[in-house]
Amino acid sequence: MSVPHPHLHQHDFDRSTLHPRHRALMPKLAEAFFAHEGPMDPARLASFSVEVDRAISTASKTLRFGLLAMLDVIMWSPLFIIGKLSTFETLSLEDRARFLTKLEHSKIVPVALIFVAWKTLLTMVFFEEPSELLALGYPGPARTRYLSVVKAA
Amino acid sequence: MQVHDACDAILHGREQEAPFFASVDVVIVGSGSGGAVMARELARDGRSVLVIEEGGHYLPAEYGQMTPSNSIRRLAREAGLAVAVGRGDTPLISVMSGKCVGGSSVMTGGVCFRIPDDVLHEWSTDLGLGELTPEKMAPYFEEVERTIHVETVPESMRSRSSQLFVEGAAAMGVTMKSLRRNTVGCKGAARCNFGCPHGAKMSVDLSFLPDAYDHGARVLSDALVEKIDFAMNRATGVRGRFLDRVTGEPRVPFTVQAKVVVVACGSLHTPVLLRRSGMDTEAIGKHLTLHPGFRICGMFDEEVNGWDGAMQAIYSDHFLNEGLTLVGVYSAVNILAAALPGIGKEHRRVSAALPRMAVFGGMIHDDGGGRVHRWLSREPLVTYRMSARDRARMFKGIQILGTMAFRAGAREVLLPVFGSEPIKNERDLAFLTERPPPAARVESMSFHPLGSAKMSKGPRGGVVKPTGEAWAADNLFVADGSVLPSSIGVNSQVPVMAMSLKIARGLCDDWSKYARRAS
Repeated sequence: MSVPHPHLHQHDFDRSTLHPRHRALMPKLAEAFFAHEGPMDPARLASFSVEVDRAISTASKTLRFGLLAMLDVIMWSPLFIIGKLSTFETLSLEDRARFLTKLEHSKIVPVALIFVAWKTLLTMVFFEEPSELLALGYPGPARTRYLSVVKAA
Repeated sequence: MQVHDACDAILHGREQEAPFFASVDVVIVGSGSGGAVMARELARDGRSVLVIEEGGHYLPAEYGQMTPSNSIRRLAREAGLAVAVGRGDTPLISVMSGKCVGGSSVMTGGVCFRIPDDVLHEWSTDLGLGELTPEKMAPYFEEVERTIHVETVPESMRSRSSQLFVEGAAAMGVTMKSLRRNTVGCKGAARCNFGCPHGAKMSVDLSFLPDAYDHGARVLSDALVEKIDFAMNRATGVRGRFLDRVTGEPRVPFTVQAKVVVVACGSLHTPVLLRRSGMDTEAIGKHLTLHPGFRICGMFDEEVNGWDGAMQAIYSDHFLNEGLTLVGVYSAVNILAAALPGIGKEHRRVSAALPRMAVFGGMIHDDGGGRVHRWLSREPLVTYRMSARDRARMFKGIQILGTMAFRAGAREVLLPVFGSEPIKNERDLAFLTERPPPAARVESMSFHPLGSAKMSKGPRGGVVKPTGEAWAADNLFVADGSVLPSSIGVNSQVPVMAMSLKIARGLCDDWSKYARRAS
C-alpha cells in the first residue's frame, strides 16, 4: 500500500476520521467497488481502509463531517435504493454492487454525487498499488520515452 | 546572506513548542505565486521580510517519494477534495489549490500564459484601471517569465494523447499551438500536479523564494494566521497559531508586528482572513471566477500510452471569442481511473482500455458567479452559480472535444456526465447542445479561482486600490489571484506573479510613505 515514506521530511499528522462503524463499512464498500474476480483479500481491504482514513484526515472538520454523513447515508439507505431491509455492510457482494450501480445512475443529483465523491476517493487510493497499476497497463518508471529521457539526462 | 539549503530559511511551525514573536518590516501571509514574488522584491529592496505559510515545506526529492494521493493530502487544501457548491443548475466543481510552501504553483501543470490583451484593454478602459494596459504590464510579464524560465514545450515532449488531440483539431480546421511552461530540463514524468520529482518545474519554491532567502527573507511554515491586527485603521501585524505536530490543529500562538501586511492566501482564503479580521468591505468574497474545466476521454484502437510525455503540451485559442480555451491534459493513471464509469467488472473492463485512451480538455472563460463565505471550520464555503451563457459554452466545449476525438479516430468517447453511456459516433454528440443534460451532472474542475478581493478604480465595487493596498485599511496589501478584476480565460500563475510584481514594485517605490505611516 502507499504509506508515508520513511524518508519524508514531514510525516502525516496523526489524525483519524473514520468512526468504528465506518471502519466496518469501508472494506465492504471497497469490495463492492473493486471486486471483479469474487471476494477480495480481507487483509488487503483492511490496509486499504487505513490508507483511505489517512487520505481524508487532512481535510477540514466540515468536509470530514460531510464525508462521514455520506457514508451513513450509504449504510442506512439500501431499503430505499434496492428495497432490502438491511444495512449496506450486511448485504451480499452482489447486492452491494447493485446498490452502487443504482446510486451511479440515480436521477437525483445529490444521490449520484455521494457515489461520485466516494468512488473518486477510493479509486484514487486503490489504484496506487503498483500491482493494480500494472494490471491497468501502466508500466510506471519503465515507460519508454521517460526512461530514454532520464537515461540521456 | 547566501542560503545554500532552503531548509535553513524555514522555521517549521509544527516543531515550535513556545510562543513566538517577531517584528519585521513586512509580513506576508501565503507563500504561493503572489506571496513569493512579494517576498523576493521586498527583500531585494532591503526590507526585513517574514512569510507565513499554513502548509508544510517539502523538497523536490520528497515530491518524488509521494504517490499522487499522498501528495494531494500533503500539498493541497482539503486533501484535494475542496469543491465549489453549485447553485441552480451548476456542476459541483472540484477546486484544487495548494497548501504548502510554494502554494498552488507546486501543483500546476506548469502552463504559462500572459493575460490576453483584450482582457487588459477591458480592465484599463472599461474598468478605469489605466495602469493595466498591455504595454505597461509587458515588462512585468517578461521579468516573471525570465525568472521562472518559461519555455515552449518541444514537440518531442508531446504524448500520443496530445498528438491525437492535434490530429482531431486539424480535421476540424483548428490549429493547436505548443504551450509554454516554466520548466528546466523536463523529463516527462507526467506528474506535474503532484510536485515535480525532478525539480524541473520552476514553481516559486524553486525560483522566487530561494532568491528571497538569499536576501534575508524567512518562512514560517505550518503556521495558521488567524487575524490581522489593526491600530487606527492601519494594519500593524498578524497573529495566529502554529499547527500541532501530532494533530495538525492550531496550538502554539505566534504574533508578528510589521509596518506593512501583505495578504496572499489565494482567492479562497484571502476573503476569509479579511472578514475574520473585521473588514466589512462589501466586495470581499464576491466576484469569484473559476474557469470551470472539463475533459473527455477518447478510446482508440491503437496504443496511446498518454502517460509517456509532458502532461500538458498543446492548446488552442481558436474558440476564445466563444469563451473557450482547449488544452491538452493528462493525469496520473489512478486519477483517470477514478473518472471512468462503472464499478467492479465493468470498471475493470473500461479501465483495461486506459493504455488506449487519450484525454482532451477545455475550460470556460467564465462570467463569474462564485462567492467565498466564512464557514464552520477554517476552510471556506465556496458557492458558484453558472450563468446560462457559461452552461451553453460548457456543453459546446464538450461537444467540440468529442468531435475532435472521433475525427482523430476514436472508437468511442466517454463524456464527463455522471451516469452517461459511452458515445459511439459523432452524431450522438448533438444532444449536448440540442437537449443538454442538467449541468449539475457534469464533472467539472477548477484550478484557477480568481477575483474574490478584486482591484477597482474606486472604493465601491472592489477591495483593493490599483496599488494593491486595501481601500478600507492603510498598509494592508493584497497580492494574489483574488485581486484580478475579472476572468482572464487562461492559466493564472504568470498573471498572478506579474500582478504581484507590479504591486511589489509600487510598494518599494513608495516605501518611505508606508514606513512613515507605521511610525
